[in-house]
Amino acid sequence: MVFGIKKHNSFEGDGLVLFHTVEEAIAAEKILKEYKYEVKLVAPPPKLRKGCDLAVEINIVEKAGVERLLQEKEASFLEILPLKGAEALLDIVKIKDFADACMVKAGNMKLTFDRNTGVILNISGGGCPDIPFLHISMLDKKLTEVSRPRENGYTLCALMLDRAFAEALEIFSRGGN
Amino acid sequence: MLLICGTVPRLDLPLINGEAKLEGDNLLVGDIKIPCTLGTAALTSAACVTSQYLKKSPPQVVLVGDNGSGKGSKFLYDYLIENISRISPDVLVIHYILPVMGLMKKVCAAAAACSKKPVMIADASSMYAAKAARLALFFDIFTPDLCEMAFLADPDVIHPAYISHHLFHAEIAQVQELISAAYKQKSAAKILVIKGATDHVVRDGEIIFTISEPDIPALEAIGGTGDTISGMIGAFIDSGLTAHEAAIMAVKTNRKAGEYVKATPATKIREIVAAIPKTLNHN
Repeated sequence: MVFGIKKHNSFEGDGLVLFHTVEEAIAAEKILKEYKYEVKLVAPPPKLRKGCDLAVEINIVEKAGVERLLQEKEASFLEILPLKGAEALLDIVKIKDFADACMVKAGNMKLTFDRNTGVILNISGGGCPDIPFLHISMLDKKLTEVSRPRENGYTLCALMLDRAFAEALEIFSRGGN
Repeated sequence: MLLICGTVPRLDLPLINGEAKLEGDNLLVGDIKIPCTLGTAALTSAACVTSQYLKKSPPQVVLVGDNGSGKGSKFLYDYLIENISRISPDVLVIHYILPVMGLMKKVCAAAAACSKKPVMIADASSMYAAKAARLALFFDIFTPDLCEMAFLADPDVIHPAYISHHLFHAEIAQVQELISAAYKQKSAAKILVIKGATDHVVRDGEIIFTISEPDIPALEAIGGTGDTISGMIGAFIDSGLTAHEAAIMAVKTNRKAGEYVKATPATKIREIVAAIPKTLNHN
């Protein structure tokens, strides 16, 4: 296998933040760089173009962190999309039943809770570095007493865990069924 | 030498390297304690107990704290790019790390410059980065679960969060279809260890081993049971087994460890790790 060496900016993002105006794009790029995100201003490809002709290229895995930072800074943006493949995050879930426990799977993440008490028994799957953090912060606590994973996570794995969490909370609020 | 690289959930932890050992529920690197929880800590813990059982040297590790912001991951990438050809490990496991395609390419380029190319194992997000950067063929082993297998089979996606609905619905009966698609588009390593209700070991697109017993459904719920498989594989290869022999031994051992502890959905990964030597003793 031959590995190419790029002399210039070797950042290869795989996601785009889209904006209404060029000014919004420039402002968002500044904020993201200030917080050490690796980003660059690009022209969005025609198939993804919405709003203005300037977008910020990001590492799409960092969607959760980028989205939260821009919202906190009240930086306006239209949408965050991957450059290839499906535009929308996987939103469907699968449920697996154990005796007194219920496992909710969303994409690569699984959250298992006690149907009777709502205590989070285990979190499995995933692979991004925020998952072990979220695992420690949520384990053995009640679904109703922990923050949503998207509030503390940075990555797509955290967003998948958030989807599983939301479904688990919904099931528990219905009495565990 | 087995070298394990990844991030751990301690924000205060700078990049550290050295020999790892397991003491009670904690991983020790020098005098630094890291709890044995889901992720690279569980992988390393499983490698430690396996190496110890096999009377081999403990694994070497490069670990760094990262809460998902990617700061620690970038230190880890930089360290590997600068040092891996000098360290030249026999087996290199890359695990929890923020997937950054450009940096993963540089790590692989640096690994290719080792005096002898290491046996390359990628699990979790390092597998995502390797696939997204089209580096799968450089790796010897990937260890996906069924959802991650669908991710490898989906040609364009760069993370399992974006896989197609029909692939997410793929069940174990469709695993051959997913395997064929992943190998056809060069998104699979030479060996795949597909973890699920039935574990599959695949070599160059051909299923060479499956195991469904003992059937312990709770293992899927326990955070870290995939990590322990990857850790054992690394230790077995370092002890002299071939990659596929190591994979088969690891999936067998993991199931038996689950049976040994009478795993439930509430079982913690440290209990599975503690059972590995006892399970190996009965093999």
